[in-house]
Amino acid sequence: MKIATQDTAKSRRSRSTEAVILFCIGTQTFAIAADAVQEIRSTDSLATAAIEMELAEVPKVRHLVERSHRTYYVVSGCAHFGLRVTRPTLVLILRQIRTAVLVDSIERMADVSSVHALPQAFQGEERQWYRGLIYIEDRVIPVIKPDGFLTPEEFARLDRAAKAIESRHALEGAVPA
Amino acid sequence: MSAPENRARKSWVLLHVGNRRFALPAESVMELAPPVRLHNFPHTSSLIAGVIVRRGRIVPVYDVSPVLCGRESSVHRFYLIAERTFGTGNETSEASAIPVNGECELATSEMQPPPENARPYFSGTLTIENENIDVLDLQKLVSAEHQNSSATNQVEPRP
Repeated sequence: MKIATQDTAKSRRSRSTEAVILFCIGTQTFAIAADAVQEIRSTDSLATAAIEMELAEVPKVRHLVERSHRTYYVVSGCAHFGLRVTRPTLVLILRQIRTAVLVDSIERMADVSSVHALPQAFQGEERQWYRGLIYIEDRVIPVIKPDGFLTPEEFARLDRAAKAIESRHALEGAVPA
Repeated sequence: MSAPENRARKSWVLLHVGNRRFALPAESVMELAPPVRLHNFPHTSSLIAGVIVRRGRIVPVYDVSPVLCGRESSVHRFYLIAERTFGTGNETSEASAIPVNGECELATSEMQPPPENARPYFSGTLTIENENIDVLDLQKLVSAEHQNSSATNQVEPRP
């Protein structure tokens, strides 16, 4: 009986709060829903699996990685948000979206009870970048939209470039040494 | 003063931006907030200096000094919070903050039409103590078409 009561309380709590991961790019802290992140890896551990790609139209993507038979495009968080270039050490591999994001560090996880809407005053690209804002420990932190890193058009361009890279590699593999 | 005269004379909040005084309709002003922390995050909206948290709400802060005075001002530590409307029919509104130096006062006066060559974000003029004070139209002042530059307002400079 006691256990059931605890479960109910836990379930009520989990419905009213959302777990977020607080991470840093440069001096800026961002939040992302914990369930939007599939994996967090060090850049070193992915270095051997990463394939270089350069596309003038999408300069924030310089690499792709294959994970579980899916191609993920690695977005530089600095370039995406227009921040000073840093040396990222971690990659957030997102769930359901074929995007991985280079970040500097993970600050911690937090439970938030509400996400404030981004004020209407913000009318620029940030409306695509952010789901809203959280106020936590006297800080206002933007909450990332996981699908805001790359537009469908950018995905289409990257997919074409990735296919070209794949064909080139296949051709190089077929040529006898 | 007769009742019709009373109706014509409205209340205004006089505020200092840079070394000039401006006016806002008193009914649009919500409060003069004390110096509180200005929070920043990357964005590309012009004129927005960041946000403040006031009474549980996140309020955008517009740095209007460059538009009104041609330069940024570092003496503004207080925030005048006023209502800004959105949409052609003013369908929605939002609390918006303007950094001010804290010397705000309430005045009653009749607004005269703006001079012909006035900036579009001045909706009229008040004459108070022999001083002509421009009345701000907050919506026009902070809307994109009247901004001085389209440069991004980033937390850090772009690489």
